[in-house]
Amino acid sequence: MFRMILFTQWKWSRLAVLLGTLAAFLLPILSVQHAGSREVTPWEARMLLTSIQSWSVLYPTLATAIALTLALMAWSADHRGRHVYALSLPVPRWHYALQRFGAGAVLLIPPAIALLIGALVAAALATIPHGLQTYPVALAARFALAMAVAYAVFFAISAGTTRTAGYVLSIVGGIIVVQILTAAAGLDVHLIPFIGDRLLLWPGPLEIFSGRWMLIDV
Amino acid sequence: MSHAIDIRDLQYRAGKTFEIRDLALRVPTGSLYGFLGPNGSGKTTTVRLMLGLLRPLSGSITVLGAQVPRDIPRILARTGYVPEQPHLYQSLTIDEALRFHSVFYPTWDWGWANELFGHFGLERDRRLSQLSKGEMGKLEMLLALAQRPELLVLDEPTDGLDPVVRRDVLGALLEYVSQQNATVFISSHLVHELERICDWVGVMDRGRLVAELPMQSFKNGIKRLRVANPPALPGDTPFVVLAREVNNGTETWTVRGWQPPMSQYFDGVGASLREVIDLDLEEGFVELLRTFRVPRE
Repeated sequence: MFRMILFTQWKWSRLAVLLGTLAAFLLPILSVQHAGSREVTPWEARMLLTSIQSWSVLYPTLATAIALTLALMAWSADHRGRHVYALSLPVPRWHYALQRFGAGAVLLIPPAIALLIGALVAAALATIPHGLQTYPVALAARFALAMAVAYAVFFAISAGTTRTAGYVLSIVGGIIVVQILTAAAGLDVHLIPFIGDRLLLWPGPLEIFSGRWMLIDV
Repeated sequence: MSHAIDIRDLQYRAGKTFEIRDLALRVPTGSLYGFLGPNGSGKTTTVRLMLGLLRPLSGSITVLGAQVPRDIPRILARTGYVPEQPHLYQSLTIDEALRFHSVFYPTWDWGWANELFGHFGLERDRRLSQLSKGEMGKLEMLLALAQRPELLVLDEPTDGLDPVVRRDVLGALLEYVSQQNATVFISSHLVHELERICDWVGVMDRGRLVAELPMQSFKNGIKRLRVANPPALPGDTPFVVLAREVNNGTETWTVRGWQPPMSQYFDGVGASLREVIDLDLEEGFVELLRTFRVPRE
């Protein structure tokens, strides 16, 4: 049963998986194209780190994009059929949802492995200045974890009805409106930064997306 | 008599305009039960309630001896369902759809699926999104039958199909029923179709069950009577008078529950019965709905 569910999900999202895998492989290699020789000045080493850092924003972006696409594709066919087919299959609903979740999670593996291979290749090809280190495994692990977290969040939202999505958007919109109104009223309320910190800083659930996504670092 | 489907005191509401009230419905095991009703009468909602796709406000639903919604996976494993609208994954090919569907049903019969496949003339590599309405209808029926179900729930299975496809689909259904003694619950507004194949009939209108009886009783029980010298008021009749129309000194009565010995009633009231006219199921169905609606309009 799981194999067939995995097959359908692969069929629906294979383009996204293949493009995501290719991007994940190329991203670390492209990020080290400006790495110079072993003997560099501290200034040049700092410039290299700045260059690497400018690429680092692309890792969580790519992880989010892949996760979002796979989560949406996991349910899109069922949404189109108003879930009648899935609900008429002789499996408990939680079981079906779990299998769909698991199938999507399996499809996250190729981009994660591609990023690991790409990072290892980049680390091997690049000439790293003295005093700097490469972290291909840590970067790949962070990327895989970010994809898993984003996938879980988007899967839960996309599994719901249009009404659920409406509630989520309403909450987000409401927060933005409150922030604008309080700012207009001259009140010292920083709702969005407050929520952002709670989500993105330790021990927030999305902490994995912040921090340093560096293939080369001190 | 055991019942494959037993619904009692069912209440359901969708929005402010539609509700199912006090629905009680019993489908005898092994019967071909035709579920008739005009569009919007609540047929599809009833089907979805009995398969656990919707949750009722109250009441009980028992299907194949198991409770809905508690035992719904067990019920669905023994039930073939053809919904009103095609519900399969459109991006799959026919072959992929078959393989996907088969893994969920322990009783799936590949031998018979392949036989039906040839009989229906479907092509394995065609995408579902490319199928005509007739081909999709055949595929839906194939999937339902190859499960070897004890109960088939068919919601407007031949609606919009051409006569040739309709004959193929109903032929396969009847062949299966004759082999397996399965129960069939078939919802439709195509009265003539049900008249040919069903042995029980339930009539739904505005969320309520108007009538439920053997097809033979339904067909034979509704008559048109030509009556001369009719009484001004029919009084205590042994049958139900659905409608009266005056025609040149005689009256035409549409009645329900008619049996030949009841002609004595007319002697008793000084009238004479000139003619008893058989109505077909469609005419009976229309008359039944008309009389059901009169007191409420």
